[in-house]
Amino acid sequence: MRVFFATDIHGSEICWRKFLNAASFYKADAVILGGDVTGKVMVPITEHNGYWQVVLAGETVRLDTREELADAEKQIRNRGSYPAVMSPDELTELSKEEGAVDRRFSVEMIASLDRWLDMADGKLKGGAIPCLLNGGNDDIWEIDDVIDASPCVTFGEGRLIDLGGFHLVSMGWTNPTPWDTFREAPEEELAAKIEAVANLVPDMGRAIFNFHAPPYGSGLDEAPALDANLRPMHGGAVMRPVGSTAVADAIVRHQPMLSVHGHIHESRGIKKMGRTLAINPGSVYGDGVLQGALLELDPKKGKVSKYLLVNG
Amino acid sequence: MATEALGDERPALFLRKATGLVRGWNVRDSLIYAVLSTNFVTLGLFTFTYAGPSFPTGQLLTSVVISAILVSFLVVAYTGLITTIPRAGGDYVWQTRILGGGIGFVFAVTGWWFILWLWAPIYGNILAIQFFEPLWATLGSPSGAAWFGTNNGIFVVSLVTIVLAGILVSIGMAGYARIQKYCIYGGLIGFAVIVVLLLINSHADFIASFNQEAQKIFGVNHAYEATNAAAVKAGFTAPSLGFGPLGATLLLVPNMMFFILWPNWGASLYGEIRGASDFKRVFRGMFFGLWITTALVVIFFLLMAKTFGWAFYQNANAAFFNGTFPIPVWPYPFMFAGWLVHNAAFQVILILVMSLWFFGWVGTLFLSSTRVIFAAAFDRVLPDRAAEVSEKRKVPLYSLILMLLPAVGLSAIYAYSTTFRTYTLDATLVIAVTYLFSAIAVVLLPVIKKDLWRASPASKVKLFGVPIVPVSGLITIGLLGFCLIAWLVNDNYFVNNPSSLIFMGAMYVLAIVLYVVARVVRRRQGIDLSLVNKEIPVE
Repeated sequence: MRVFFATDIHGSEICWRKFLNAASFYKADAVILGGDVTGKVMVPITEHNGYWQVVLAGETVRLDTREELADAEKQIRNRGSYPAVMSPDELTELSKEEGAVDRRFSVEMIASLDRWLDMADGKLKGGAIPCLLNGGNDDIWEIDDVIDASPCVTFGEGRLIDLGGFHLVSMGWTNPTPWDTFREAPEEELAAKIEAVANLVPDMGRAIFNFHAPPYGSGLDEAPALDANLRPMHGGAVMRPVGSTAVADAIVRHQPMLSVHGHIHESRGIKKMGRTLAINPGSVYGDGVLQGALLELDPKKGKVSKYLLVNG
Repeated sequence: MATEALGDERPALFLRKATGLVRGWNVRDSLIYAVLSTNFVTLGLFTFTYAGPSFPTGQLLTSVVISAILVSFLVVAYTGLITTIPRAGGDYVWQTRILGGGIGFVFAVTGWWFILWLWAPIYGNILAIQFFEPLWATLGSPSGAAWFGTNNGIFVVSLVTIVLAGILVSIGMAGYARIQKYCIYGGLIGFAVIVVLLLINSHADFIASFNQEAQKIFGVNHAYEATNAAAVKAGFTAPSLGFGPLGATLLLVPNMMFFILWPNWGASLYGEIRGASDFKRVFRGMFFGLWITTALVVIFFLLMAKTFGWAFYQNANAAFFNGTFPIPVWPYPFMFAGWLVHNAAFQVILILVMSLWFFGWVGTLFLSSTRVIFAAAFDRVLPDRAAEVSEKRKVPLYSLILMLLPAVGLSAIYAYSTTFRTYTLDATLVIAVTYLFSAIAVVLLPVIKKDLWRASPASKVKLFGVPIVPVSGLITIGLLGFCLIAWLVNDNYFVNNPSSLIFMGAMYVLAIVLYVVARVVRRRQGIDLSLVNKEIPVE
């Protein structure tokens, strides 16, 4: 069985489209997206009399036709941002009113995800190709229901899913980050959440842990060291392990066949932890490249027989 | 959810609070990296010893300034790559992504891994001549000092350097980066002391001090006059400090690359680019680092001319180059500057302080190699084991073996073969080839990766409507092309003799063989390496 795993596409539409095409491109039997589906940036496009205006990569651009507008929106979406068309007054209000930006962000995120799931229906042959999606620590709660309602995509959080005889369990929570994001919990709480899903697995020899946070100190969790003001220290050259000790302990204790992670984009890599093959394919969603892991699972032997990190 | 608006009156974008949205790093940090990488003390002084005598009519000062101007375009080209594809891995990532997996592998492993085996004894040699030799001599053991210049001495110090660099790879950059900062500040204070010494002392003071200390430490009488005579006897006529002739001065430019080509050495960017302002930030770190080095060299040269005498400085280098220098150690200008104060303790302290330029820099030897080895192992081109890190001590054992063992072998060849020692510029040439392909990548970027280029802050940086990044890439190709041709056709660089070419060629053959073997072996295992960088269709 061939599985394609990617993660942390953060609203990049080009990466989502590639993800949907990955099954046919890599001849994969199932595709998994590990979390952090939603974007971090919203780009306002102001509507004026007969034209629109937007700032792209620091440059103010005037859009005179609907085609130019569509092209700019596409460019923004491909980089993982949300284009938000509004009047200049609306933009002024948005900046002033408490909570207005958050609300608009949520609207754009949900609308975008809805559109994405509509695209999935056609690409995944109406669910014939198993596709699993999960939230990550950066994803708002509202996306869970949207994904869960999709007919062709399975929402993974906290569930045991049979994947061609392999047991897949997922958890999008991470250990605390400096950004105080949505699905964060202290290590003890995280350990309890992990135990809750691990206890669902009947046979660890055929288990796949799809945990957003990478194991601490595994080399899959190296992020730039930051100072108190969230500035990379020493020109960004110093890396520091920032993964979860609870995830590391769970892998060492339960020894699943495979453990797939994301969260730390810079830390693309592979680590053998006892019997477990742990992988973080990393993410460069902003470049429009879908990094992923191609995994060949041997149903007879219950092991990962081949693996390859790809930059699709 | 907390959000942040970026823009002046009306926000240009809204950021919600999410993982990885870091603030721009301090430009000072990347500037320190650039100054230490284009290290005018360790690499620069070493370069000047050999460059001047190789092209006796060329002007060192002018060639440094010309080199810095040309390398500034390389800085722009690399800034374009960094801000367009802001990922750790540098040349390997850019070349594999833009030019293809095979090209990326071959030119990244040769430039960032294999050739660093040769840099190990070069670093070792510099440690010997700038630290051990002057220290031993000043402490009263000139014969001990001279030993460091022997074959055994160079080999032992190369081993010390390799062990030191290996330990630094094992402990990682975190602690070392702090040490780097202290080293650069200490090194600059040391240089400031030297500037003051050279300013307040006259040429006559220097001659008297030089003769007195050379007699006291090495037992050499009238060393100043003997040095000048030795250079003349070797057929060297020192040019006066000036600006031409341009032809011979331009021929010095490929020599200067040995120290000035590396402002981008530590230029990695993590996190996510926010906009065009990051182009300026990346650029400033490298650019000002490069020009601070250039300014330090200009100050150094002018003070040499004032206090040492420009002819004497070059005569000392020429005499050493020809093996006729009356003092039995390398002509270390900062040791000679210390002789202006007739106090051994002061002289020792000055040597120790100036050695910070070495110890702040030595960690760069193998740290980048680890990244390339790991990246190639994760791409399944190298065996998985190459990227293994020991559980207990977090030491990348196998990659260390892949770096250190060949470095020991090459150190032995370097130490015991004086001919091989002249191939020093091979170390620059191979990395210049790597840079050349990155420059080609940046020129082709707008054509091959149109969307990526269009969305990049680099594409917005224009002069008279022309994007400056690809143009800078073209100028960089011109600079590196000129250097490569000069290195290969002119005997005075000592890189174009058959054994040197075989040595370098073997590295490329090894890289190609490794890649081909990996493709074949992985195919037999059912793993298709061609998929690694194959783009998934969007529609």
